[in-house]
Parts: sequence; structure tokens; C-alpha cells
Amino acid sequence: MEYVASHAEPTPTDETAVELAEAEPQPRAVSASWREYALAVAIVALATLVALLLRPYLAATNLAMVYLLGVVAVATRCSRSASVMASFLSVAAFDFFCVPPYLTFQVSEYEYLITFAGMLAVALVISAQTSRIRAQAASAVDRESRTKALYRLSRRLAAQTRVFDAALAAAEVAEQVFGSHVTIFLPEDGRISFRKRTSNQLLISTAEEEIAQAVFDHGRKAGKGMERFPAAAATYVPLKGVSRIVGVMAILPGPHGETLKADQQHLLDLFANQTALAIERTLSQNAADDARMQMETEEMRSSLLSAVSHDLRTPLASITGAATTLRSQSDKLPPAVRDELLDSISEEALRLSRLVGNLLDMTRLESGVELRVDLYPLEEIVGAALQRLEPQLAGRETSVSLPEDLPLVKVDDVLLGQVLGNLIENATKYSPPGSAIEIAAEAVAGAVQLEVRDRGPGFAAGEEKRLFEKFYRGKSQGVRGAGLGLAICRAIVVAHRGSIEALHRPGGGAIFRIRLPLDALMKVDARL
Amino acid sequence: MKPLVLVIEDDPQIRRFLRATLAAEDYQFHEAVTAAEGSAQAAARQPDLVLLDLGLPDRDGLDVTRELRGWSAVPIIVLSARGREQDKVAALDLGADDYLTKPFGVDELLARIRVALRHAARAPGDPEPVFEAEGVRVDLVRREVHRGQEEVHLTPTEYKLLTVLVRHAGKVLTHGQLLKDVWGSRSPEQSHYVRVYMAQLRQKLEADPARPRLLVTEPGVGYRLKEG
Repeated sequence: MEYVASHAEPTPTDETAVELAEAEPQPRAVSASWREYALAVAIVALATLVALLLRPYLAATNLAMVYLLGVVAVATRCSRSASVMASFLSVAAFDFFCVPPYLTFQVSEYEYLITFAGMLAVALVISAQTSRIRAQAASAVDRESRTKALYRLSRRLAAQTRVFDAALAAAEVAEQVFGSHVTIFLPEDGRISFRKRTSNQLLISTAEEEIAQAVFDHGRKAGKGMERFPAAAATYVPLKGVSRIVGVMAILPGPHGETLKADQQHLLDLFANQTALAIERTLSQNAADDARMQMETEEMRSSLLSAVSHDLRTPLASITGAATTLRSQSDKLPPAVRDELLDSISEEALRLSRLVGNLLDMTRLESGVELRVDLYPLEEIVGAALQRLEPQLAGRETSVSLPEDLPLVKVDDVLLGQVLGNLIENATKYSPPGSAIEIAAEAVAGAVQLEVRDRGPGFAAGEEKRLFEKFYRGKSQGVRGAGLGLAICRAIVVAHRGSIEALHRPGGGAIFRIRLPLDALMKVDARL
Repeated sequence: MKPLVLVIEDDPQIRRFLRATLAAEDYQFHEAVTAAEGSAQAAARQPDLVLLDLGLPDRDGLDVTRELRGWSAVPIIVLSARGREQDKVAALDLGADDYLTKPFGVDELLARIRVALRHAARAPGDPEPVFEAEGVRVDLVRREVHRGQEEVHLTPTEYKLLTVLVRHAGKVLTHGQLLKDVWGSRSPEQSHYVRVYMAQLRQKLEADPARPRLLVTEPGVGYRLKEG
């Protein structure tokens, strides 16, 4: 039963495709049908009726005008052949009903022959002119709808950055415009791949596969309605880019099996061409991106290597030196020197640990770490950072000013704590020992703003942006570090949808300002 | 009797340093290199304390914690790398007593061991009646809290939170454990209750609430009431 049901119901894509096709006005060919001839006959009959009613009051030549009006009416509504027929019919009816002797084609006075000739000439000219105007109008409408369709296609294609997305967009627009299923096949390793196609509407048989492949190989249209493989289920158009064929577009016949008209064929070619160019552009863009990314990765790797090898070696050298000194000369060293060496071992080891931690964090952040956000009082995060940095902050005045009504912040406490820690640690490194460090927060329009301020030499003008780059070190002398701390800060703040900036502090020093947007924050009733 | 410490750690250098330190502090020392060996040793030797590395070669340290807690109340201190806060919280919620982040110094290690052994020695539900540190005095019998000479007035919830911390003084408590002990709930969506009440306690008990000396935050894990 399930099997039957799944086949009985149309798939959603089916429905959408049909709806879209209906919503789109189809350019219809202007050809005379039996309806138009019937209308022409009816209008001539109406003109005759009016002429018969007026006959007692008007001269026969004036009744000809009624018929001419009828011809005008026919010409504006029907094809040229119908209005030509109406012209002859009018002359005949005029002769039969309006020219005495009535109800015969005989003519009593020969001057009526001139009337007939004039009437026929005028009627034919009206028919010809009117139908030409109509044809022009129709082709203008046609051109406009074609231009619109192409414009829509190019707009959709311009927005795509991936080849498959471009193909999907093109197929979708083409389906709307042509009102039948369109599938685009993309190649994989030089062969049309049936795994890389935009839809499954076209259930491909081996024979159809071969046709699609032939179209891809030779770059010529084939399939239904074409010279080659006319028995195929679909029409296949190659997607010819500038340098190569990038795929094949297949279009199924309409719901009643009708194939595309000549002008639609032309439009389809234009579609195929535009799609091909877009896909080719995307392909080369992707290749360029890949190349650039690889170059950047290489560059980063080499600067990482040089930074890391230097920063890892220096503490390792002091540890090795101190440890071997203690080992081989222990008995010759005064106790104070021994303590110094031991201190340097543990300090350098901690430095190494921080560096490795920073490197790991950077890697983790770059690979897209998941934030574990929750609501925190900012005070708690500041407090934890200060506590961690207690040794570095010894002998300094550290002031913290946090307004009591600051909202809880929705953040990853470990990561934001690290941002604060890095900023405070930087302040200790880049300002003279004993100078004050200030930490302040306030609620500003739409955000909470947190600042770390020092009274060091600040940074050089123009460095504001570069400070946050990876491996960039401030121009201050004598400070060691891999240049990762601020890059990590920026990555974390950005992950919280916030911003971070460096400012020159009036009176000397630096200010690092973090803004966390209000939508990342939440007010919670503190009394619960 | 010297307390027996079982170290379950696969790195030989760390074992060597622990052996030296613990011997110097008059602890007995046993070591295991894998989780399987650790479990077996714990059953055979009945140690007074377990130092457990969470990154063992054969099995997750969390499994070992769960297994040990199946039959033993022996204090467990887990050792884990920085940036693995979730593992630490998981271990603590499984019943581990405390944690140390590698690299750690010897003072930190010994302090944790002392706190864990002291809590283990005392029967549960029988805390010391008076806690005193950083000028704050909590009298659990008279239900009084003083800061310096002045009595501090706490709301019932604040007091309950403080007593839970006092009962586990020196030990880390996760947000989940505090939620359960104070509010009787373990819903993680409510963990900001804990933070808001902790902020209020700090306002009332700390000299500078932004630089707490007593109610210390362990980022990503929970809180610890520092001892004097």
C-alpha cells in the first residue's frame, strides 16, 4: 500500500514546478484559429444587420462605412488572414444587401463598382496596417518577457558562489520561464555525472545518459525536437563556456508533450549560454580562492613556525641552562643563586605553558569553537581573571569599577575570562611596574562596554588595527610574546558578536575597549 | 599510619615528580599506568586517596571515576588539561572530589590532597561547627554569620548556599551540585540563580566583591570556598 501511496501523491517539487509554470505568462504564437474566423464572420454579420436597419435613411455608399468599421474591429482582434477574409466578405455583403437590386450580386449602376474597389482597398490596407502594429506590439511584449527572464537569471546567478548552487538557480529560473522540467548535469572527472544533477525529475535511462554525454562531448544540441536523437525524452543543450563545456541542460517537453517554439529555442540558447558563463566564472573563482587560501595557509604556517620556534626555544634554553647548572655545579653555588635558578625554571615553564595554551586556543577558535554561553555577572568574570593574574599584578594598584545595575551578560565565561586575562596581562607587560591599571564597565546604548586601561607608553599611531593581527607584536622594546594574545581576544569577542578596539588614552597609555551587543545580553531580575 | 595515595597516570615524568613530592610529605605512594590497572589497584590496596589522570591510554578517566564510585567513597582528585572544563565538571558530577589543571604546582597539589583527606576523615553531615577565614565567621550551630565584629544578615537562600559551601570548604563545587543542594534542582537553565546569589553573598561578605578572597570562582567549573 505504501508503495502505491508514494506514487499516487505528487512530490512537493512537482507541485511547485507546476505552480511556477502557471504563474508565468507564456509567450503564445500569434496564429489564426477557427475562433478568429468565426469572430470575423460574426462581426460582418453584425455590420450587415446595422446596415439593413440604416438602409431606409442613408445612401448606399455611406453604408459602406459601417462595413469598414466592422473590418477595423476584426483587424484589431484577429489575425491578418481573418481580417482579409472579413474585407472580402464585407464587400460581398454590401453588394448583396445594400446595393440595389437587393439580395442579388447584380449591380444596377456601374459607379458602384468604384465603391466596391475603394472599399476593398481601404479594408485591405486597414487589415495590413493593423496586423503589422499588432505583430510589433506582440514582439515587444515577447522581447520584454525574454529580457526579464534573462535578467532574473543573471541576477540569481550573480549571487551564487558555488557551482552546484549556480546550476540549481539556473534550473529553477529556466523551469519557471519555460514551464517544464529542467535539469542541469555537471561533469565529474570529464564525464557527465548523474550524481551531480540539479533534480531527479528526469529519470534517466542508459540511452538518455549516452545522449547527454554525447552533447557534453561534442557541444551540439540533441534530443527531442532536434536533428540528432529526436526520439529522446528530453532536449539536451550543452552549457558552453568560453574555454570549455561545463555541463548539459536538459529540458523535458511541456505537460502536453509540446516542444519549444523557435523563439523559445532561441531563449533557451541564451539561458544555456548565460548559465555556462556563470558556472565557468564560479569554477575559476573557486580555483583562485583555493590558490589564495593555500598561499595564506603557507604564509601563516611559516610565520607561525618562526614565531613558535623562537618563543619555544627561548624558555627551553633558560630551563635547560638553569637545570644543568644546578645539576653539575650545585655545590659551588650560593643558596641565593640556586633559588634564582629554580625560580627561572618554574617561571619559564609557566611561560611555555601559556604560549602553548594560546596556540591551542587560537587553533581551537579558528576551527570554529562552540560557545558555551550562559548568564554571568560581569563582576564574577572580572574577579576570576584578576585572581588568575594575582602574581603579575603584585605591587600595582588595580581599580575595578562596575556599576551595580549592570545587566547579566550572556557569554562563555571561560573564553571572556580569557579575553580579560589577556588584556590585563598585556597591561602589566606594557606599562611600568607599579603603574595603575583600571578595569571599568558600563552599559551604553545597545551594549555593555568593558575597558582595560593602563598608563604605559601606549602604542604607535596607526597600529590600532594591526595590534589584533596574529603574530603582530607592538613596537615596544623588551616585551616577549608570540603576538597571539590580542588576536585571540578579537576572535573570542567576534564569536560573541561583539567588537574590540584599541584607543590612545588621554594623558598617556592604552585603552582596550570591548563592546558586547545587547542582543548577546539579557536582563534578569536579580531578586529572582 | 601514613595515608596511601594511588596515582593513576600514564606519563612517567609526572609519576616521578608526584612520587618525589608525596614521599617528601610522608605519604605512601602506589602507581598505576592504565585505567584497568588503576581499578585493580584501588580494589586491592584500598588507598586513602586517588589521583586520577583523565587522559588515560586504555579508557576514559571518567569511566574509572564512575566505577570507583560504584563501590567506594575514596577521595578522587582528577588531573586534566586546560580547556577541558566540561570533562572536569563531568568528573566532579560523577563524584570526584576535586581537580587540578595541568600544569600544576606542588603547593596546589598538596593543598587539594589535604582538603580531600580531611573531608573524607569526617563523617558526612557532621561539619565543623564554626568556619572562619578572611575575617568571616560562620557559626553553623547558632546560625550566625559575622564579618569582623558585625553580624551579617543573610536571606534564607543565601544562608543555605553559604552552609553548603562551608560544609565543603576548600573543595570545588559545580553549578549543578550547588543547584541540587540549595534549590533541589539540577536543571542547567537555572544555573544563573547560583551566580546571582553568589554575587549577593560576595556583596555581603567580601571586602572587594570584584576581587573575592573567600568565595572564589573556578571558571567554567564552579565555586570554591577558600579556607584560611
